[in-house]
Amino acid sequence: MQILKVENLYKSFAGSGEVVIDVSFEINEGEVIAVIGPSGSGKSTLLRCLTLLERINHGTIKVAGETMVETTPEGRVVYASEEQLRKIRLRLGMVFQNFNLFPHFSVMRNITEAPIHVRGLSPEKAREEAERLLGKIGLADKADAYPYQLSGGQSQRVAIARALAMKPDILFFDEPTSALDPELTGEVLKVIRQLAAERMTMLVVTHEMAFARDVADRVIFMDKGQVVEEGTAEQIFGDPENERTRSFLRNFSANHK
Amino acid sequence: MSIFQVPTDAIKLITLLFNGLITSLQVFFLTLLFSLPLGLLTALGRMSSHKWISYPIRLYILVMRGTPLLLQLIFFYFAPFYMLPPGFRFSLPRFTAAIIAFSLNYAAYFAEIYRGGIESIPVGQYEAAAVLGFTRTQTFFKIILPQVVKRILPPISNEVITLVKDTALVQILGISELFRVAKNESSRIFSTTPLFVAGVFYLFLNWIVTKVFESAEKKLSYYR
Repeated sequence: MQILKVENLYKSFAGSGEVVIDVSFEINEGEVIAVIGPSGSGKSTLLRCLTLLERINHGTIKVAGETMVETTPEGRVVYASEEQLRKIRLRLGMVFQNFNLFPHFSVMRNITEAPIHVRGLSPEKAREEAERLLGKIGLADKADAYPYQLSGGQSQRVAIARALAMKPDILFFDEPTSALDPELTGEVLKVIRQLAAERMTMLVVTHEMAFARDVADRVIFMDKGQVVEEGTAEQIFGDPENERTRSFLRNFSANHK
Repeated sequence: MSIFQVPTDAIKLITLLFNGLITSLQVFFLTLLFSLPLGLLTALGRMSSHKWISYPIRLYILVMRGTPLLLQLIFFYFAPFYMLPPGFRFSLPRFTAAIIAFSLNYAAYFAEIYRGGIESIPVGQYEAAAVLGFTRTQTFFKIILPQVVKRILPPISNEVITLVKDTALVQILGISELFRVAKNESSRIFSTTPLFVAGVFYLFLNWIVTKVFESAEKKLSYYR
């Protein structure tokens, strides 16, 4: 089943011009997509458009067959009703680069607050679910800790659990390890790998090339707001067709030796 | 018998000042009761993207912070009578006028403190809440406001301490609060003792205010 369909997406900002240019792709259930590319290539903005944190200037986005936004033949961008968007939002999960945990809530409450107050789960049910998730990410003993007591890697794992607790159809990651000390990236990547093994549908913006290569079913390479090349991990990393992709990967491996 | 006169006088003075203190406390608590919520509304209006909301509120804050509270007290007492056309004139009770002036004045100061607090919350908090599906109201009351309260406690405590002392200003409207009572008693008995005792009362009140805010800060120190 198709979870996400993006067609001819454009996003520009006053002052910085077009940041995302004519991007189209789709994601099917259970697929893991890695989006790679140099800084400023529009990867994060793309993600923010898909999660309704930014409004697009042109294009169509469909989530599990439901239209989030479309553009009329006259070029008018029409978003679904607030009511409809609220439902669509429930299908989307997001993990931020800077975690964005709620500092005044315990780890437990960070995870249970939205299931209780947005999904309408009973507190007991939400707690049970949160405990299961905490066990899964290896932080069962941190339920009562506060975010300031966690390391970056632990924080990011809690943020993943918080997103999973909403049972999204697709989980977006915006450079989930970029704010972490190098020795802490492993524990976060391990959790994402585990989710991939469980066939969680995910779109991961990342600079971790080895990780993208292992985990992603498909890789999208973006540069200057455009999708330059898209293909399987073997294709993109093993035998990239486009010169920009080749030079990016070459520079990347040169800088990370 | 003269040796018993001293404690009797002391008790008389304390009782007298105590009555003034009650009035001061009424001004203090009623002002907080009205100005704290009004300040929040004012802050939200000040941050509104609609110019026809934010501009009048900016003007209101400018006037309230830019003119003496003493003058505002006089204004709210006399304006309904002298500034309205005949037939619409009315006068407010002194105490009511004082509470209105104080509440509007303090709300303006509180509004700027709230605004500073609200604007200091990282945008990521709003974004995380939005992606989790919280409504704007839920986001504000569950996620943002609790964090704001922690951040603004120190500046709020400054204002509250000032308020304790500012209550003395209502004497301009002839209200017998602590300071006026002490001053009159001072003139009557040709002694500065009543004023000194009033000073001790103010200090004691602010010691309590300080303690209350310290314990509130401590209560909120469970997170950073």
